[in-house]
Amino acid sequence: MFGMVKRPEVSDRGRNGTSDGPASIEMIMLRNVNIHYGSNHAVKGVSMDIKTRKVTAFIGPSGCGKSTLLRAMNRMNDEIDGCKTEGEIVLKGTNVLGKKVDPVALRTKVGMVFQKPNPFPKSIYDNVAYGPKIHGMRKKRSLDERVELSLKRAALWDEVKDRLHESAMGLSGGQQQRLCIARALAVEPDVILMDEPCSALDPIATSKIEDLIFELKKNYTVIIVTHNMQQAARVSDETGFMYLGELIEFGPTKQIFENPKNKLTENYITGRFG
Amino acid sequence: MPEKLDVDLEKLMAGIDGMAGLARGMLIDSVRALREQDIELANDVMSRKKTLYDYDDDIEDLALKMLTLYSPMASDLRKIATIFKIITYLNRIGRYGYDIAKITTHLAGEPHVKKLVHIPLMAEKVACMIEDVLNAFKTRDLSKIKDLAERDNDVDQMRYAIFRECLTYMMEDPKTITRCTDYIMVARYLERCGDHACKIGEKVHYMVTGERIELN
Repeated sequence: MFGMVKRPEVSDRGRNGTSDGPASIEMIMLRNVNIHYGSNHAVKGVSMDIKTRKVTAFIGPSGCGKSTLLRAMNRMNDEIDGCKTEGEIVLKGTNVLGKKVDPVALRTKVGMVFQKPNPFPKSIYDNVAYGPKIHGMRKKRSLDERVELSLKRAALWDEVKDRLHESAMGLSGGQQQRLCIARALAVEPDVILMDEPCSALDPIATSKIEDLIFELKKNYTVIIVTHNMQQAARVSDETGFMYLGELIEFGPTKQIFENPKNKLTENYITGRFG
Repeated sequence: MPEKLDVDLEKLMAGIDGMAGLARGMLIDSVRALREQDIELANDVMSRKKTLYDYDDDIEDLALKMLTLYSPMASDLRKIATIFKIITYLNRIGRYGYDIAKITTHLAGEPHVKKLVHIPLMAEKVACMIEDVLNAFKTRDLSKIKDLAERDNDVDQMRYAIFRECLTYMMEDPKTITRCTDYIMVARYLERCGDHACKIGEKVHYMVTGERIELN
């Protein structure tokens, strides 16, 4: 079912048109990741490999730990009091949980898009240019190029190119979410984390974001948390099902949705849970 | 939602049950009509074609509606996908029954070349295969269909034997050619019904295990 519409093969070429290695190698390796909120053991011993330039989806009921696990990948949980993360999350050979890792620098490599679009109350241009600017990009020409490229990659350029200096708050919800994606792309990340990026959007805006995710995986590794199983089935290459903090099953999306191996997964995706 | 889905799945299963009974009945009755040269029964079989097509349309409509309403996944999806295929195979089986009944009406008034033995035996074997695959579909018990490929081989051999036998009759007496050609056609239809039973068996195997196999 999931191969009904055959999509074009994803290019192995890197962002600059050069090969950045085969697309199947692991971008992120999680080893025995445990996350506690105080006494609440939210993520329990998760180990998995997330492949480069693939879309990986996490599904599971509310409170199963999928967003917590996602946020651990760019240390967003550091901002939460009482949250303790153990284990290893290895990005390109570096354990991002290591004490020497600067979370701010990490977040340029692992960008994040949230449930509700959260543009800065600035112009469209300034939203996208903000990241490169604070990382030292000063030349206007370079900034212009980066803004244009990021907006093009976020499939927003054609809609906003004539009003770049208008407020981002005047954009529609779907456009705002794509602006947030452009903002994340502007600092040239390797990985984009998406925490229910379409839950606040209408079906048309959702469809645009899903198309965008498909385009993004040509150049980026995308990890998405979603409650919408059809969306996970549509956009992802691999899917992980989480329940009560554990990764119950992880595998190719086609297998998870057509023939899951675990009874819990089967019950969840067929709606016969509990 | 799953409760509604389950209710509709029950309706689909009942539909398949009805359609299977009808299609299999058309096949069995058409061969009986042929053997006994019972034109009334042959006409009765032919009159069932519309009901067969109605089953096909109604089940397909409901299955499509379920895909739209429930976006089924995993075992539910496999079951509905299997049903989409099964109705096509059942339609073909019933349609072959119709064709055999039609041949029976063509042969009206002409005695059989000899007493029909092999064709009814072949039909019995095929009807048994159809019954077993549909039982496997209902009960999810694959043990009923594990020897299906072997039984299909037997059916193929029976068809070949009928063909050879008819050839000898036709060589001995050219007046039998029309009737023998019809017998060969009937044997061919029955053999195809055996193939459809195997295809249903393959789909049932997929529905139960999620894995695809080839039976013939």
